[in-house]
Amino acid sequence: MTEAVVPTLLDKSFGAGTTAADRDEAARRRDEWNAARTSEQPQSFWQATLRRFATNKVGVVAAGIVLLLVLGAIFAPLLTSADPLIGKPLDRLQNVGSPGHLLGTDEQGRDMLARVLYGGRLSLLAGFVPTIGAALIGTAIGVTSGIMRGAVGTVLMRTMDMLYAFPAILLAIAVGASLGPGLTNTIIAVTIVFVPPVARVAESATRRVVVQEFVEAARLSGASTLRVARTQVLPNVLNDVIVYASGLVGVAMIIAASLSFLGLGSAPPAPEWGYMLNSLRGMVSVAPLVAIVPGFFIFLTSVAFNLASDALREAMDSRL
Amino acid sequence: MLRVAVLRISMAVPILFGVSVIVFLLMNVLPGSAEASLVSDDMSAAERQAIRDELGLNDPLPLRYLHWLGDALQGNLGYSAQRRRDVSDLLMQAWGNTAVLALVSAVFGISLGLWLGYVAGTRRGTLIDRLTGVLSLSGLSIPSFFLAIILLAVFAGWLRLLPSGGANLDSGLLMALRSLVLPVLSGSLITMAITARVTRASIVDVAGADFVETLRAKGLSEWEVRRHILRNAISPVLTTSGVQIGALLGGSVLVETIFRWPGMGLLVFTAISARDLLVVQGATLVIAVTFVLLNLVVDLLQAWIDPRVRGAVS
Amino acid sequence: MADLLELIDISKTFDVRSGGRRATLSAVDHVSLTVRPGTTLGIVGESGCGKSTLARVIVGLHLADDGELVFDGKQMLTGKRRTPGELKQMQMVFQDPSSALNPRATISESIAFPLQVQGASKSVIAERVATVMRDVGLPAAYASRYPHQLSGGQRQRVNIARALALQPKLVVLDEAVSALDKSIQAQVLNLLSDLQDEYGLTYVFISHDLNVVRYLSDDVAVMYLGQVVEQGSAQQLYDEPKHPYTQLLLSSVPTLDPAESTRDEPVDTADSTEIPSPIDPPSGCRFRTRCPFATDLCAQVVPVPIQVGEGRTVACHLYTTP
Repeated sequence: MTEAVVPTLLDKSFGAGTTAADRDEAARRRDEWNAARTSEQPQSFWQATLRRFATNKVGVVAAGIVLLLVLGAIFAPLLTSADPLIGKPLDRLQNVGSPGHLLGTDEQGRDMLARVLYGGRLSLLAGFVPTIGAALIGTAIGVTSGIMRGAVGTVLMRTMDMLYAFPAILLAIAVGASLGPGLTNTIIAVTIVFVPPVARVAESATRRVVVQEFVEAARLSGASTLRVARTQVLPNVLNDVIVYASGLVGVAMIIAASLSFLGLGSAPPAPEWGYMLNSLRGMVSVAPLVAIVPGFFIFLTSVAFNLASDALREAMDSRL
Repeated sequence: MLRVAVLRISMAVPILFGVSVIVFLLMNVLPGSAEASLVSDDMSAAERQAIRDELGLNDPLPLRYLHWLGDALQGNLGYSAQRRRDVSDLLMQAWGNTAVLALVSAVFGISLGLWLGYVAGTRRGTLIDRLTGVLSLSGLSIPSFFLAIILLAVFAGWLRLLPSGGANLDSGLLMALRSLVLPVLSGSLITMAITARVTRASIVDVAGADFVETLRAKGLSEWEVRRHILRNAISPVLTTSGVQIGALLGGSVLVETIFRWPGMGLLVFTAISARDLLVVQGATLVIAVTFVLLNLVVDLLQAWIDPRVRGAVS
Repeated sequence: MADLLELIDISKTFDVRSGGRRATLSAVDHVSLTVRPGTTLGIVGESGCGKSTLARVIVGLHLADDGELVFDGKQMLTGKRRTPGELKQMQMVFQDPSSALNPRATISESIAFPLQVQGASKSVIAERVATVMRDVGLPAAYASRYPHQLSGGQRQRVNIARALALQPKLVVLDEAVSALDKSIQAQVLNLLSDLQDEYGLTYVFISHDLNVVRYLSDDVAVMYLGQVVEQGSAQQLYDEPKHPYTQLLLSSVPTLDPAESTRDEPVDTADSTEIPSPIDPPSGCRFRTRCPFATDLCAQVVPVPIQVGEGRTVACHLYTTP
């Protein structure tokens, strides 16, 4: 860690003149000098991270794509008048770029643009909700076991290890198969898959933080364990969790799409991207461009999240 | 080393136990549990009770678990009413096919990823480094089943170069290899991507270490220096390759489904469609146990190669 | 005048794993010390001698296994968590200026935290933070800054300010200047000295640096492998060290005066660099493996501290068997 360059401030001994005018002049110059050197803006970790992130072109573009996709999904009814669920059978499998159907139509003549926009609601939900859910639960478990080294911590982390012993997608499939099809169940399944790795990240970050002297100082002031956890440990664990979780959104979308692909996802005819990809699978030789549209959007979103996550990691990396 | 081995193996036992508990609970506690696939709505209450009694479903949960575990340890994973076969027979048949596919994918993905990561890490900032970056990012972000569909459309549909599905493992080496190409490519891209990323990062990390400077100062040839770098950089790569093989085993459900590869994955897919949960349960258990054992092998390998890991145990 | 702090027979062990086996590390072993109000007790010893553990036992961060602690005429439990009211009477300044401050909190938030915990009102907190910042020589403009925007010396001033915020009677300084540059060390030592007068503070000053200890301390205790081997007034102890370990320590202090140089006449003939492990300390006298005067007796009998002058004790058989 590099030491911040801190200017020397001048005190009263500077420019001790003989006449009152000399002393006043010295005082004025002293105040000027000091003011110039104390005007550095205070910057919190998050402000600094944001500023560094903003200088990363790739990260900004990626974050912009994510934002566009989210806005497109939210404002779908404003962006297209076409119905995502009902199509004209006569218009089936129009190619990408055909008049009135920017992204073509599917095998039932439904407008693909409308389906992609409305489908984005389900797919993005399936990406965000499990990630946020797992981040909250995993952080709680990780911080708890990182602070409480005894039986509680051991039991929690060994349980996590056991869930971690399953390949991620297999666990999601097994949970999904047990719960039955549906978007809610998909979200639950993906959340369960993500809790153990988040808990591991949070636990190791917590272990690193609790041995630091500022935590001892907080305990020395009489603060309860809960208060120390909330005010001292958590703010210093969150950055690790956030970087890790930001990389999970894309994975969550892919797993959710995989589950719908296997028939365990949201119920048809709801336009979820994974389900759309599966139902257009047979059309890949007839209308290849249309058939890859849903897959392309899963890919695009996932790439954007991965790039944004990398940029975020870099922006946080200069350890403050 | 022997002590490390014993310790690692003894640590795997509780994990295996936990895995079996989780698999059992998944299928017996959650709403879509196994009994639901046997009991149908039009049965009378008495009939349902009879089935439940016969299956021992009225026993307390821990007792049922012990029964199930005892059966499972003897190779009895239940009977698939839909397929009219013992679940273990079905799994045995499929296991070999999945093993072949996963093994070839792992070897292909990990060695290609290692090579790309090594080249990228030692020639930072060059074109090949940036290309590797793009390739590994794409590999991380593309769903394997999407890649599979594209590959199928191009190589089987359009170019007609390769078969569109099935496993021709018994009809000669050439046919076997031809049937393996597309499933291996679509399954192993993510393995390659992650291995390349980790290898590159690890190489960059080690290449900046002081000892590398010392080796150069001692007058070692560049070739020898790189050998030292690789040896020191391999440990994190090994750690992830365990996880990678797991991802391949899990991902097999998707890849095998698309290429109609008669392995565990395809078995799971058809069982899900038919709500044949005993097969899902059995396959999940077998894949998870395989995964734990593979990770154990990777751990031991790592302890053998890297003295730091060996020391960390004690 | 009565002592402000009295430690009686304090012991602290840790359970550790060594080579895969469980073992007990004896960090502090039967330590008895007294500190007079308004003075500084320096505790000196090599790293790993239990100084920091002792510091944490005094302020209540570690629970002692055994022994008693009397503070300001009242006995305080050493084996149980202390109440916030007990904790606030003794505060600590930590060693590492970079890890002693929460990187996510501003300077004023860090100083205010103990006051918030103790339930002070907003206006009291604001006033108190401003006062201690001024007292330790931090410009008010630094209040809203973050630790990474400060230099090491300034961060240590913040640490001191935080310890003073609760107006403690006793401050334990655990290697408080060791991580700082020499020139900054002098500034901080002067500051500590000024604050002691202003606030009427009592210090327990812990350091491995004998020069620094000498500068600030009225009395000094020398620790070796968890035990106090010698204590006395700083003057006596530095002028006339009695315990062979104290002699060894003083002989290794670099000096600029060639007349004082002991470079050519090393006290230690034994293997003096190898410090035994506190997990399995030597029998009898713990220093005997490095002591040039060790006899058979030293391996068999633990030397007890004996009085060798006014407020002066030594734990060494050289002085028990004349």
